Amino acid sequence: MLWVDKYRPKTLDQVMVHTDIAHNLKKLVTEQDSPHLLFYGPSGSGKKTLIMALLRQMFGPGAEKVKVENRTWKIDAGSRSLDLELTTLSSANHIEMSPSDAGFQDRYIVQEVIKEMAKNRPIDTKGKKGFKVLVLNDVDKLSREAQHSLRRTMEKYSAYCRLILCCNSSSRVTEAIRSRCLNVRINAPSEEQIVQVLEFIGKKEGLQLPPGFAARIAEKSNRNLRRAILSFETCRVLQYPFTNKQAIPPMDWEEYISEIASDIMKEQSPKRLFQVRGKLYELLINCIPPEIILKRLLYELLRKLDAELKHEVCHWAAYYEYRMRLGQKAIFHIEAFVAKFMSIYKSFLIATFG
Amino acid sequence: MDDMDMDIPLPEELEFLESNSHFAEQEQEEEDHHYYFPDLDPAAEFLESNSQQSPSPQDLAVPSAEPEFNGHKRSRPPSPEEKRAKVRVAVEEDFAVADEDWPRYSPPPAPPEQAMEEMMFEKEKTLSRFASEIDGECMPITAPSGNRVYAKLNRFQGEERVTKLDYNGYSAELSSEPVNVILERLEQEAFAKALEASSEGQSVLDIPEAQTVHERLWVDKYAPKSFTELLSDEQTNREVLLWLKQWDSIVFGSEIRSTSDDVLSSLKRHSSIVHNQKPLNSKFPRMNGGPKWSNGRRYINARSMDESGSSKSIQDVWNAKSRNIGPPEQKILLLCGSPGLGKTTLAHVAARHCGYHVVEVNASDDRSTASIEAKILDVVQMNSVLSDSRPKCLVVDEIDGALGDGKGAVEVLLKMISSERKPDAGKQSFGKGQQERKSSKKGSKAASLSRPVICICNDLYAPALRPLRQVAKVHIFVQPTVSRVVNRLTYICNKEGMKASAIALTALAEYTECDIRSCLNTLQFLSKKNEALNVFDIGSQVVGQKDTSKNVLDVWKEIFHKRRTKKTERKSHRGKSFEFDSLYSLVSNRGDSNLILDGIHENVLQLNYHDPVMQKTVKCFDNLGVYDLMHQYIMHTQQMPLYVYLPLVAITVHHIVSQVQKPNIEWPKSHQRYRTMMMEKMDILNTWHHKIPPYIARNLSASSFVEDLISPLLHILSPPTVRPVAFQLLSDKEQNDLAQLVSTMVSYTITYKTLKSDILPQTQRCEVADGLALSLVPPISDFINFKDYTSNHYVLSVAMKQVLVHEVEKHKILQVGNDKAGAFTNGGHEVIETGTNNIPLANTSHATAVDLKINENQANVLSWQLNANPTTVSPNLDSNKISRAADCGKLLNMGNMKKPSRSSSSFFDRFKKVNAKGLQSNDRSPQEEATLEKDRYPLLFKFNEGFTNAVKRPVRIREFLS
Repeated sequence: MLWVDKYRPKTLDQVMVHTDIAHNLKKLVTEQDSPHLLFYGPSGSGKKTLIMALLRQMFGPGAEKVKVENRTWKIDAGSRSLDLELTTLSSANHIEMSPSDAGFQDRYIVQEVIKEMAKNRPIDTKGKKGFKVLVLNDVDKLSREAQHSLRRTMEKYSAYCRLILCCNSSSRVTEAIRSRCLNVRINAPSEEQIVQVLEFIGKKEGLQLPPGFAARIAEKSNRNLRRAILSFETCRVLQYPFTNKQAIPPMDWEEYISEIASDIMKEQSPKRLFQVRGKLYELLINCIPPEIILKRLLYELLRKLDAELKHEVCHWAAYYEYRMRLGQKAIFHIEAFVAKFMSIYKSFLIATFG
Repeated sequence: MDDMDMDIPLPEELEFLESNSHFAEQEQEEEDHHYYFPDLDPAAEFLESNSQQSPSPQDLAVPSAEPEFNGHKRSRPPSPEEKRAKVRVAVEEDFAVADEDWPRYSPPPAPPEQAMEEMMFEKEKTLSRFASEIDGECMPITAPSGNRVYAKLNRFQGEERVTKLDYNGYSAELSSEPVNVILERLEQEAFAKALEASSEGQSVLDIPEAQTVHERLWVDKYAPKSFTELLSDEQTNREVLLWLKQWDSIVFGSEIRSTSDDVLSSLKRHSSIVHNQKPLNSKFPRMNGGPKWSNGRRYINARSMDESGSSKSIQDVWNAKSRNIGPPEQKILLLCGSPGLGKTTLAHVAARHCGYHVVEVNASDDRSTASIEAKILDVVQMNSVLSDSRPKCLVVDEIDGALGDGKGAVEVLLKMISSERKPDAGKQSFGKGQQERKSSKKGSKAASLSRPVICICNDLYAPALRPLRQVAKVHIFVQPTVSRVVNRLTYICNKEGMKASAIALTALAEYTECDIRSCLNTLQFLSKKNEALNVFDIGSQVVGQKDTSKNVLDVWKEIFHKRRTKKTERKSHRGKSFEFDSLYSLVSNRGDSNLILDGIHENVLQLNYHDPVMQKTVKCFDNLGVYDLMHQYIMHTQQMPLYVYLPLVAITVHHIVSQVQKPNIEWPKSHQRYRTMMMEKMDILNTWHHKIPPYIARNLSASSFVEDLISPLLHILSPPTVRPVAFQLLSDKEQNDLAQLVSTMVSYTITYKTLKSDILPQTQRCEVADGLALSLVPPISDFINFKDYTSNHYVLSVAMKQVLVHEVEKHKILQVGNDKAGAFTNGGHEVIETGTNNIPLANTSHATAVDLKINENQANVLSWQLNANPTTVSPNLDSNKISRAADCGKLLNMGNMKKPSRSSSSFFDRFKKVNAKGLQSNDRSPQEEATLEKDRYPLLFKFNEGFTNAVKRPVRIREFLS
């Protein structure tokens, strides 16, 4: 088992990073008046971990005994009937799913499946917990229609059903839903916190950490705790005992993007842009989200750029990212950004060096 | 005499006839005309000519009759000369021949007028090797020597000449004939005409009857009726004809073969348009073609001497060839081209020309599979019992418009072709003459293609046609040259008495992109409106431009290609707006804006535009981005009216980057490829995600796999520090590491699986022993396998991978065993282990062999080469290898080839700990060698699937007993 999983806090008491939030959540649950919750924050900050710990706090260890269910739902949508396949994780008291898996048909999932689940009151009436919990992942990827149909469900069945929503960015969750939930923002852990966690793991594993090593990993991890722990383990596997100068293996796709960036810096021409396109496609093929590609590319470019241009380049990156999110074909916009950058950079070079 | 002519139509003659044919026909028409307008000229002249033609041959001896006949013809002005006067064809050779012959045949007192005219022909003839050099209408002529020239056609109004000439003498002479003879002749003539009408023969309607029948569409009126009138590309015409001719052997059978062979040979030889007599209605040419045969005869008589030798040999060759040719290779002809180029006309004319009755199935007919099949069978295998007994030729028009039900047509045709591919027995039954077939029923299989089928489409690349394209002979129509179209239009305008300047007509032709149909319709429309046609009418919106849906590739070409505009046009505002309009309609008519934009995106960077600081590129991509946003917005809000703005993006791009030089356009594949590949990979990720036990998977989303997990995971899965030694050999710390690794693999359901050994050359090298390569399952290493990127991931040795596979299996079994009552499996293990414990001696050598190998792996992990060992060991190793190979061979059936070796190694590693490590030393007693022999014993202890610590090796029962 990876350290990430091995040292994942199981209960709210074990949580190391967001202790204050964990504390508040615990208080919230023990008072038995849990509202709908919306967890949001960047990936690798511990949203899921907190949710799992919260469920355990609510329902005891039974919440961890989950079974996977892959079910096909038949849905009557007016004249035709649809078959939707949905994977759910469920324990006695809660159900977990990502409705956005259904793509553009997520509306039906929300309208039919979730309503169906929310309607059924848990049979176990002897226990004090008279409500069940629905955990919905990736709410920000839900279509607008689905989100609209969600809000009625949230109100109607609130007597015995709690929703826990989880997403990366709350900006794409509609106001209506946000106002119906208790919003819990999970920040990315600070580097100190990450160092703290790494040292904890090191102690548990009986490793000797040279001073500053954990800090280097934390710095490289982009404040992503999962990544920090994973690269920590990677370092351990590659070379132990640690040395202070030990290289921390980079993410492969990040390396690739930095290659692209240096390609762009070397030559600015339509021909080069064509080569860059091929590489961008490679990244996209391997399921790297385009937003992340653009962000990383900007980061890599900025590192090598004259301070004069940084502002302008950032502006254009934001411009094209906005358009990318509005549009559909990400490659058009990423490439447009690359072209724009090439143009700016080239005219800058001509202006400075003649 | 005429009969004789008919029976031996030599190729030369045919050619000559072909070149002259429609004049003759014209004359026929002319005569008809006279007949119907008796006030012009008395019927007497008409009758006279008839009396000369038909009844005489029986009475007259051939040699004597001919000069006389010809002489008479000469002296009787109207028939051959008038014909020539109407359409003057000046061919040097022909005239040379004619001049040579005339003194012989014609009486000296030729009318002086005649001679003068003769001279005129000589002067006015305009010959050229290139059609373009002749202005005005022209027609191709092929000389017997194979030379090909284009001759100018000069049309005269015949009536004037008719009135000039003097017939009186002859009419007086004719009237002396008995009335009953005349009546009989008239009857025959009427009969011939009726037949002619029913056969829809090549009657030329180019007669000035516009005044009387004004309602007819010009398109129909001036549709080419004969092969020579076709405006379409000559190469295509000829190939179509040749293809049709190849059916002759099967359709018309051997009876007519001599004729068609001749035709074929001349087709082959000169690759020229050949006018063939209609083989079935062989009476007709006889009836109406009198004068022209005499021409042909004259010509042949003169030429046959020097021609016969060569032509005969070719004929023989061809005959020999044609004996065993069946129908053409491709049984279906697929004509494609944009509308109005004359595809349908060509199909009809050519089929008729070859003597077929054309049956057309077009989009307006029911085209469901059932009905189309019945129809095709009907056409292909039946013969009409009614009057028209010519074989049929199926023309499936607008086959690309076949959608849904209409696909039936393509399917049926394909089915028939595929059945044809099998040796068809029915072929012979068709190889009979027409007469036989009339009476006898078809004996062939139900569905086989024995008649030519011509399919016509506009878009060759329509999806419905994909299968057909592979089996059919495809001809792509090209636009006729503007000058050719304009010539024709001028001619028609003249006929219709419409004033039209050549400039205007040229503009019209360009405007409609040489779509003749559209041109004619426009002209007819305008002729009603005002008399004179000017350029303005065409340029203005009076004439609607037709919706041309072009091939996508053409659209891209248009976008990237800047037209060289004339200076005047460039200055004027009109040129620009016209360009804009045409481009806009081009893109919007194509409709598939997504594909068009993809193509632009794919190809724009390959263009050679001048762009020093990439500003044009930026603009281009901004526009593409605008398109993307707009498209997404339209899809999202369903505001379809906004679609009209999408083509503007393409036009903007055109203005930014279009170049004069021709672009090299590729079909946009990369986006499609990206979509499918990404889907595949997403699928892999998702299935993997679902396979991972929920207590881990629930904390991850599929996207975080790629972002955070896979790179470190690959590092963690391939630790460079772990030695590829069996579990028990490792130190405690190493054991811990290995256990950790294995548990990771198990928790993420990752394992190694064997793949075909030829995937990686690197593994192939070290896998000589096993012929196996191990790779990760699921293939997560693919996710970092970018193009032109080398990751510095450590690659585990194969031995190590095998250890891992083994351990993972064990771990899984243990897990299962923990969950269930593991008594059964454990018990099984025990039994085997005790069994093997009895033969430690025999196994020691085996154990050492394994040890040696392990040592080697340590020393030389990546390249697993046995020869690198000390020489003392090598014999031993060899024997071990042999035994192992034998083992492996036996165990192959069980399908888990690698397991025995691994399991044996781990089992003997226990012994190793007990025994000294000295076993690694190379001393080996000969008795151990002897025990090796036992390894080859045929008895095999087979263990079922799953994992065991036991040794799988042959054991004799007596060894247990001893």
